[in-house]
Amino acid sequence: MIVLEQKKFQEIEKMTTGYNRLLVLGCETCAAMSFAGGQRQVAELASAIRVARKTTGEQGEVLEEAIARQCEPEFVDLIKDEVSGCDAVLSLACGAGVQMLAERFQDKVVLPGCNTTFLGVTEELGVWSERCAGCGNCILDKTAGLCPIARCSKQLLNGPCGGSMNGKCEISKDVDCVWQLIIDRLTRLNRLEMLEEIFPVKDWSPAGHGGPRKMVREDLKS
Amino acid sequence: MKSGSNLERILESGQFAVTAEAGPPKGSSPKVVQRKGELLKLCCDALNVTDNQTAIVRMSSLSGCVLLKEMGVEPVLQMVVRDRNRLALQGDILGAAALGIRNVLCLSGDHQKFGNHPTAKGVYDIDSIQFIQMVKTMRDEHKFLNGEEISGDVPFFIGAAANPFADPFEFRVIRLAKKVSAGADFIQTQGIFDMPKFIEWMKMVRDRGLDEKTHILAGLIPIKSVGMARYMRNNVSGLSVPKEIVDRMADAKEPKEEGVKICLETIEQLKEVDGIHGIHIMAVAWEDIVSRIIEEAGLMPRPVV
Amino acid sequence: MTKDELSTEIKYPPCKLACPILTDVREYIQLIAERRFEEALASIRNLNPLPRVCGRICTHPCEAACKRGQVDEPIAIPALKRFAADGPWKGRYKAIMPDKSTGQKVAVVGSGPAGLAAAHDLALLGHHVTIFEALPVLGGMLRVGVPAYRLPKNVVDEEIQAILDLGVEVKTGVRIGEEIKLTDLSEQGYKAVFVAIGAHKDRKLGIAGEDGFEGVVSAVSFLKAVNQGENPKVGKKVAVIGGGNTAVDSARCLLRMGAETVHMVYRRSRDEMPAAKEEIEEAIHEGVQVSYLTSPVEIFGEDGNVSALRCIKNELGEPDVSGRRIPKSVPGSEFTIDVDMVIAAIGQAPDSSFLDNELTERDKRIYVEDPYALMTTHPGVFAGGDAVTGPATVVEAISAGKRAGISIDLYLRGEPLPTTEQMEAVETAKLSPALIEKTRKFARCSKISLPAEARLKGFDEVDAVLSEDLATKEALRCLHCFLGARIDKEKCISCLTCVRVCPLGIPTTTKMGEIAIDPFACQACGMCVLECPVRAIDISLDPHSKIAREIEWAISRSQQVEPVIVGFFDLHGNFRSSDVESLRQDYPNILPVMVFGLRRVDTSDILKAFEFGADGVLLAGCPSDTDPFPETADRVKRRMAHARTMLEALGIDGARLEVCDMPDEGLVEKELIDGLIQRIKGPGQAR
Repeated sequence: MIVLEQKKFQEIEKMTTGYNRLLVLGCETCAAMSFAGGQRQVAELASAIRVARKTTGEQGEVLEEAIARQCEPEFVDLIKDEVSGCDAVLSLACGAGVQMLAERFQDKVVLPGCNTTFLGVTEELGVWSERCAGCGNCILDKTAGLCPIARCSKQLLNGPCGGSMNGKCEISKDVDCVWQLIIDRLTRLNRLEMLEEIFPVKDWSPAGHGGPRKMVREDLKS
Repeated sequence: MKSGSNLERILESGQFAVTAEAGPPKGSSPKVVQRKGELLKLCCDALNVTDNQTAIVRMSSLSGCVLLKEMGVEPVLQMVVRDRNRLALQGDILGAAALGIRNVLCLSGDHQKFGNHPTAKGVYDIDSIQFIQMVKTMRDEHKFLNGEEISGDVPFFIGAAANPFADPFEFRVIRLAKKVSAGADFIQTQGIFDMPKFIEWMKMVRDRGLDEKTHILAGLIPIKSVGMARYMRNNVSGLSVPKEIVDRMADAKEPKEEGVKICLETIEQLKEVDGIHGIHIMAVAWEDIVSRIIEEAGLMPRPVV
Repeated sequence: MTKDELSTEIKYPPCKLACPILTDVREYIQLIAERRFEEALASIRNLNPLPRVCGRICTHPCEAACKRGQVDEPIAIPALKRFAADGPWKGRYKAIMPDKSTGQKVAVVGSGPAGLAAAHDLALLGHHVTIFEALPVLGGMLRVGVPAYRLPKNVVDEEIQAILDLGVEVKTGVRIGEEIKLTDLSEQGYKAVFVAIGAHKDRKLGIAGEDGFEGVVSAVSFLKAVNQGENPKVGKKVAVIGGGNTAVDSARCLLRMGAETVHMVYRRSRDEMPAAKEEIEEAIHEGVQVSYLTSPVEIFGEDGNVSALRCIKNELGEPDVSGRRIPKSVPGSEFTIDVDMVIAAIGQAPDSSFLDNELTERDKRIYVEDPYALMTTHPGVFAGGDAVTGPATVVEAISAGKRAGISIDLYLRGEPLPTTEQMEAVETAKLSPALIEKTRKFARCSKISLPAEARLKGFDEVDAVLSEDLATKEALRCLHCFLGARIDKEKCISCLTCVRVCPLGIPTTTKMGEIAIDPFACQACGMCVLECPVRAIDISLDPHSKIAREIEWAISRSQQVEPVIVGFFDLHGNFRSSDVESLRQDYPNILPVMVFGLRRVDTSDILKAFEFGADGVLLAGCPSDTDPFPETADRVKRRMAHARTMLEALGIDGARLEVCDMPDEGLVEKELIDGLIQRIKGPGQAR
């Protein structure tokens, strides 16, 4: 899933000041699962903005709405009327959702209420961690199913560096050294010899360094 | 001769090499580098110029190398992949070659999070092993990473770092082997305090015959105070400082003298270890002790080859 | 619809499903838990015209079905019913009278629970009802069968009076079939008749000596005499034959009337004994001796009086049609006990001799065509209660009366009568051992009863009514079958939050992310309801929207006493109902919102309070020893910390949110409120 976090309230408050009729728009998939932009957080944030506006004396109504996914034009178009009646939309979706709104509502101010953080897993409720960097060229077959691009602080393909201690990364005792994990796992699988080969330099162009990415499936497109 | 550097000549002639670190300043004055060059030029075969060490911005290592070279001291150009992508790295290698630099030490670099620009974007386009391989290809095949021809020679004596004290221990020798097979002509290790572990590591190195394929220079960090010993023991990832060292420093009446003593004892022990071809002294902010240590270790005068 | 269908379609809780009149037990228990006692009584009374009677003598099949019974002990439902029905609010119940009379006359023959229930319901449907009662007193077995120590006569009288107050006419001392025939009734303008004459005729023992001596008495006539204050002659050593409630009632009455030893003789073992378990226990507690697996063989006498009872021991053989094992006598095991009185209580039948030729009988009982519609072979004549079923329970009689009410009303309107299959008992679903393990145990309230010596001095009621504190505490033991979390599948995004936060591990998922919450197993803690990020889960026990509504309502009726503080109080705190009132007297600025645990309050609710104009929010949780879900406390604390951070971000001092545990007495420590008020009034609050 895409993991998001809601922006700090002060930032949201500053961003939304001056837009009298403000629509707080939730996104019910990744943002909801991240507890950043589902209906529950929409209600909480809208209420917070209303309370803050009460103290500052700012006028205007704060409306609440949510759609299944803001990254899909069909869903976005379903709230055309609500959007047209407000001065700005505070989107609680990932960056993709925010931009889809901007694209569909050309004349409307669209504001991001969340930061898009990473592609990750839920370790447990309330704990998410990065697993994939979306590099466009998966190498997990060669790294025991553990990604050094997403999980090594230095994206080493021939790790670990000299900072790996007690299974932890040099940047923090809270971060696992993924190379230690890779080596442990390959040892268990009796495949450690895989790492004797030098991993060649990576082609970063599918990772976005080749320009904005786009995918077209001729068999599917209209 | 791959590069014809003094360091290469000494090592290839089978003599015990001595190198030391000379970090450039957080400023533009050439004097700091020149002073360190003066202090160290007679006691060392080559001086490493660090590259934004610990991710703190300093004068570039290539400039430091040029300043040393101008005063007749042989530099080792340290380069980290943290700050430069493959284009910049290859360009700087060519520039260094043009400026007469003959030794390069290919490193990953400390993570930017530790430095004075922790919000910087780390580059890490290629890693240190790929970097070694790239320089070797440039030197031996006159080819860029993309396969295009390079005009002119790229004569470098290629170095790499090794840390016998980081985890996972068993994998450390495999990683050294990868560096050697990538093209590392010499190795400078992390500072050694934990001698039994180092000896164990060296045995594994010899078992793989790596000491025959590359020159291993053992790293040394002279300790100035018990505080420094403690700090390195507790806070520096990849360093192993046994408790006895800390205790010795704590009990010492004159800690600096004790630090020198520890360093000299370590050198004596290292001389007895098969496969060690030299030492590399990293006396960060204590460069003026280096010549005394080398003198008292009986490694003076430095040979001329 | 059969009960089985009901259970799956409508998700009735087992307690309701077990009740012959489908009393919404869960609802009134909930209302008691919320200290809405008057509403609890209304919930019972709307269906049952005899709540005080049932609160005392109902056999409470609901309790046997109760889910908590699988965890520790079932909810003390009869005690709670009696609490709701007996409280000082009992006189305030007002039935909703029909706008106008139908003008139709209905005769009810017999004034027992069946007749009374029918009369009550028919009167409320606008019919003109007349009850014909053969005895001089009303109430049937309630009046003349059940002893006063179990059911005081004033209780019966008061409940009957409330029914008569609906406009029901009464003719006592009139035995239908004698001076007035059934057929005469229609000539008198009665368009329908409900025959509910009960089963007042004891079966004979059928042993030698039964008719030969003074001192062999039928249980019904004995109890009738006792209950009408006739002070019948009682022996010193008495044997009571039989194992039903009539036998036990007779035995316990005998002790109260001076019998020195009372010996019950029952042919099967204790497990098969049809009398209510508690009754048997009380009888033994009071000193009644019971010989199980024993049958009477012959009664002996001297000088015309009973002198001894010869018995034989039995062993149990194969089960009979009712599933009970048939007792078989063991040859040579005869023994004799010295007695001077024998009471026969081996079953009763209706005394319908005077209805000869007017109604069809089968097995000595009045025959009805359909056990639900209750019409006899005689059009317009309906029958129900013990007269049809044989001796049964008061709630079954009420059920018959209510069904007769429906049938008669339909009959009078010329509409077809309902029919149904026999209602079958539905067994309560079994909880998994893991769930039982995880469910917090709470001791059942203990009964407050007269000591045995005091009881035997007279006919004072044995059991006392629960106090308000004990009743709410007991009601809070309810595990809320089918009141818990419900997932809106359309909204659910399979995020698994419910699976992760449930303290009992109830939500499950499939490979494709279809989440299911077992509505029976769920105990309505509400964690998943709040934590669900897309609000796809709601709950029947206080839906989440209710809290926001209550905040708004509380603030709207605030008397503008500043600072306005919304106080969330955990119902599990087991405070007295007066505590809220006294708190409001001391602090009129505190607006109470009662919740089933602080876990029911979300950050957005706290923000809502401020949004609606509160200056501060107070949350008082129950002490951990009364919290049914103590494992959620930590998560709730962290949620409150999040709310505080949020408030700080809004420029509101986080100290305006006070979270505390309730003290032993009252709702909240005064110093704590004073502190909160001071912080609100204090300087440095403006942003």
